[in-house]
Amino acid sequence: MKIGVGAPAIGLPGEGLSHFLAKYWFIFLLGLQNAFIYRWNLLIRASFSLLNLAVAVILWMAAFRGQTEIGGYGMEQTISYFIVLMFFNYAISAFTEDYQIATDIRMGTINQFLLKPMNYLGYRMTTFFASRFVSVLAVIAPIGVSLLFLSAYFYLPDESWRWTLVLVTGTMAAMLQFLFAYCFGLLAFWFLEIRGLVIFSLAVETFLSGQIFPLDLLPASLYRISQFLPFYYQMYFPVAIFSGRLSLHEALPGVVFQAAWVLALFGISQILWRFGLRQHTAVGG
Amino acid sequence: MNLKQYLKIWVASMRYSIVRTMMFRFDFLVWLAVDFVWMMVNILLIEVIFSHVDNLAGWGKYEMLVLIGTAMIISRIFDFFFMGNLLELGGKIRLGEFDFTIIQPGNPLFMVSTRKVDLEGLPNAFVGLGVVIYSMGKLGLEPHVGQIFLYALMLICGILVHFGVLLTIASASFWIVSTEGTENGYFNLFQFSRLPRSAFKGVFNFLLVYFLPVVIISNLPARTLIDGINWIHMLWLTTATGLWFFFACSLFSYGSRRYTSASS
Repeated sequence: MKIGVGAPAIGLPGEGLSHFLAKYWFIFLLGLQNAFIYRWNLLIRASFSLLNLAVAVILWMAAFRGQTEIGGYGMEQTISYFIVLMFFNYAISAFTEDYQIATDIRMGTINQFLLKPMNYLGYRMTTFFASRFVSVLAVIAPIGVSLLFLSAYFYLPDESWRWTLVLVTGTMAAMLQFLFAYCFGLLAFWFLEIRGLVIFSLAVETFLSGQIFPLDLLPASLYRISQFLPFYYQMYFPVAIFSGRLSLHEALPGVVFQAAWVLALFGISQILWRFGLRQHTAVGG
Repeated sequence: MNLKQYLKIWVASMRYSIVRTMMFRFDFLVWLAVDFVWMMVNILLIEVIFSHVDNLAGWGKYEMLVLIGTAMIISRIFDFFFMGNLLELGGKIRLGEFDFTIIQPGNPLFMVSTRKVDLEGLPNAFVGLGVVIYSMGKLGLEPHVGQIFLYALMLICGILVHFGVLLTIASASFWIVSTEGTENGYFNLFQFSRLPRSAFKGVFNFLLVYFLPVVIISNLPARTLIDGINWIHMLWLTTATGLWFFFACSLFSYGSRRYTSASS
């Protein structure tokens, strides 16, 4: 069976902008509804991540005993880093998108997107942003609880450029997160089971995106290498800007790098999609 | 059934699990590698912290590695024997599959917790042991037989505490049927095993050191290797283990009387 290559990336020929926006607005609403189904699971998980935060806080407070700074940063900045990290984890991480996409391919539910005037990447990205919107709501309460204990160690940046750059780099980091998951999901065109691969990359990602410790504590040469990898830009970068670990001078070139990685991953996703569809046998659906 | 029959069943299900794992060799290797990477990341964290400080709440770098290696050995052996089985228990209760456990002619807790073994855990328990032995060498410690024997005994206590805590969480499904994902709390909780006891203060000290024994299960055996035998520690750990294990088993058997099956 010959299948088309799906709709073009943005809109359809002859499709008006308002029509296009309305379409994605509906998908966004649909994504919200879907995400709300799992609100309790999400809340439980968000509350459990308070324990992760506690592990980091206890560990670093112990490290700071008899020490005023580690790697040039005080305890406030280090603890703030982990609180901001927890927020960003819920605001931009792709949790299950890779599995959902892989399931669509394996079960054949992806076939309906091939037959409709709907771009699969556009659809997935829209529902991704919708579900992140819901998970941010879920993490507000745990963050509030953590601030009850840690408000003395939490600081908000007062430079306005930090807020602007966090918005820009945070959005691009979310796109990187999504595109990573999307590419991994598309591997299901070739492999039946992607779980092992996903978890393996998760371990590497978690470390190289600064979720275990702030990356600038690495030896200088390793830190330099990590700045060339995409993982740096999918979590550490916005968090480090927000918690004051990067100066404007250091951050600006990073924005260019980050944008380049977004484009590169978008390109890779398009290639995977094109070749993947040739493999696709449209079973089930 | 007598003890011999139970052992026979356990051996049979182990053999079955191993054969099954060997059918999916590539998967097995991937999981092994994943777990290994996680362990290395934890060790790297210690390396990074100690490149900036010289002690963590009074613990030196290699003492911390003895602690982390000990926590690894306990959790990997627990993974091998019980974790997968207990993680599935909540789902079984929710979906009514627990039916198949209680109709078997044996103790339901035994049946449900020994159904399979996860081979991935075992090789990495040896990695943990390697970390402990290497760090002991760096510290210049040569423990005598008594220390090693008590250390091993304390590791068993640690495994039983893991068992008790996860069984308690899973048994909650007898009451809270609609909620998934509570099992993840288990993973969050045992991260505290990798931290030195002296780092805990205030409410955390009460909750995680004294109430839930998640901190002492790694700290006390590690100190046994580093400082020598402390009988008060031994008594503390065995009592806490006994209490938690007994509590979890009672909760499970009390809960299973509430079990109403589902959808069949």
